[in-house]
Amino acid sequence: MARINPRALYTIAKKEFMDNIRNKWAILLTLLFVITIVLVTYAVGNAESGQDPEKITQDIVFFLLAVTSVLIPLIAIILGFSTISGEAESGALYVVLSYPVKRVEVLLGKLLGLGSVIILSVFIGFGLGGIAIALIVRPESWVGYFAFIFLSIFLGLIYLSLVICISAFCKRRITSIAGGILVFFWSMIYGIVITAVLYATGGTIEDLMSGNIPDWFYNSVVISPGDLHQTTVQMAFDVKSIDAMGASFTIPDFLNMGTLILSHIIWFIVPLVLAYYFFKRRDI
Amino acid sequence: MITKTIMCPNCKTHVTIEGNPGEKYLVACPNCNLKGHFTLQGTETKSSEFSLEIHGLTKTYKDVKAVDNLSFSVRKGEVFGFLGPNGAGKSTTIKAMLGLIHVNSGDIKFNGFDIKKHDIDIKQKIGFLPERVSFYDNLTPVQTLNFFCELKGVDKSVVPSLIKEVGLEEAMNRKVGTFSKGMVQLLGVAQALIGNPSIYILDEPTAGLDARWVKIVREKIKMLNERGATVIFSSHILSEVETLCDRVAIINKGKLIAQDTVANLSRYLHMKPRLEITIKGLNGKIPDMLGSFQGVEAVEVNGDVLSVTCESQIRSKIISSLGEAGFVIDNIKTIEPSLEDTFIKLIEGGT
Repeated sequence: MARINPRALYTIAKKEFMDNIRNKWAILLTLLFVITIVLVTYAVGNAESGQDPEKITQDIVFFLLAVTSVLIPLIAIILGFSTISGEAESGALYVVLSYPVKRVEVLLGKLLGLGSVIILSVFIGFGLGGIAIALIVRPESWVGYFAFIFLSIFLGLIYLSLVICISAFCKRRITSIAGGILVFFWSMIYGIVITAVLYATGGTIEDLMSGNIPDWFYNSVVISPGDLHQTTVQMAFDVKSIDAMGASFTIPDFLNMGTLILSHIIWFIVPLVLAYYFFKRRDI
Repeated sequence: MITKTIMCPNCKTHVTIEGNPGEKYLVACPNCNLKGHFTLQGTETKSSEFSLEIHGLTKTYKDVKAVDNLSFSVRKGEVFGFLGPNGAGKSTTIKAMLGLIHVNSGDIKFNGFDIKKHDIDIKQKIGFLPERVSFYDNLTPVQTLNFFCELKGVDKSVVPSLIKEVGLEEAMNRKVGTFSKGMVQLLGVAQALIGNPSIYILDEPTAGLDARWVKIVREKIKMLNERGATVIFSSHILSEVETLCDRVAIINKGKLIAQDTVANLSRYLHMKPRLEITIKGLNGKIPDMLGSFQGVEAVEVNGDVLSVTCESQIRSKIISSLGEAGFVIDNIKTIEPSLEDTFIKLIEGGT
């Protein structure tokens, strides 16, 4: 990989940030995110008032998880899905690459600039959410909440890395839209796919209901960034079992914090390396 | 190998001679066929005397050869026209110049340096305007130009004067997303001027602009060239290059058809000037006597206007004979062959 000029990297990142901070879809989703987080905090905080503040915070986070694990990937996808294919199609990339700048600098600059928009959006949402929690619930420990913020940013960056890769691969903006939708729905349909695999390999509904499930079923969450994120947030709150469908599922030992974070890193790095490969080979 | 242009003592046509310095060559004027010996003087042309050299460039998209073994060179300080019909491979060649596409084969050198190895240094000195330029919808022209200045490491204090130079002062704080196509093109011109490049590459610079701005862009090209810059621009409109270019390369279907001065291209094709004689009361009739002249290639009549394409030596003879035959001549005009005619002829017939 070529030597990176920090000035060029910073210039690209700054431009991406300035251009995309005004993206109306990103603003709309961030707004939705803020409203949800404040409403959930208020509602759960009131409903459970009098209980242990740490337990309330945890419940708020688990409620929020359902929302953030949809909204944050959506923000990342909207920001990044056509960052290369769209600019190549419009011709803007053509001008940029006639300047003394390397493709690796353009790619990483985009990641930094768009990543900053996601981080800002997450900070606004969780910042206001945090204020609401502080006022209503008054927890003593914020470790879980901060871990939640950190993991949410990580989730955003994973999706950003994925869509940048798609955008570097797709020749046209329209095909990268399809790619973005596919990425978005993968974590939605993962549950169905993996359950289908369970049945296909001899599992039954009774097994699933009673929690008598092979470890690979749990371990497979590493192949879905959304589920990976949710499991990791639960682990961050020291939850070792999940109650669902009337049964209690114990999370297997394999899914410790180490393997979960490592899986995050792989989900972030691999698409980025592929994006570089596609972008480098691309005819503009 | 060196190239020299001399003037024919008989008919004042420019004749280009190529050969080795110190050697004697028999030269024939392509226009009047006057022959004479000429000794080439001067020194060998070094590669660094060229702003751009392209050698054996080939680029294939799937099965289609967009550019096919293309070679040409642009001398320092000249205005070079890169011509061809739409889809001839002009934009592909320009993309290859900038290292934006992966070519199948060929070398591209700027000032003697290979674009593949020295792209960052070369691009520092290039000003580029693509055919369909596009920027970022949410940024203002100032923010856009600031960005490009930063990319080139040029002080941003030049931005207001660049905006003034292309006449976008009034739109200075509007978002580029709200701009018309012409305004975006002007912003494109402004960004190409950043850092006073020594080589300009302009892909169809006047496409999509109205007449007023076409004129301004042309004047700008002249001005840049007077400042000492090499200007390479592509076009499919031939009238554009005739007045602007020192030399042109013409390509079609990815292949080089001709590379020469504008004047020479017309001569090589033996395209002769056309004589337009307005005769009172001619009324669409061709005078019979014209058939008896040797060297008359074509005769056309349109109302009172008689067009005769002929050897230049017999022009005065035709005019005097017409007078003697009793035709009342109102007006005489000589029309030089346009590059448009040359172009059509080149593409239709090959060289």
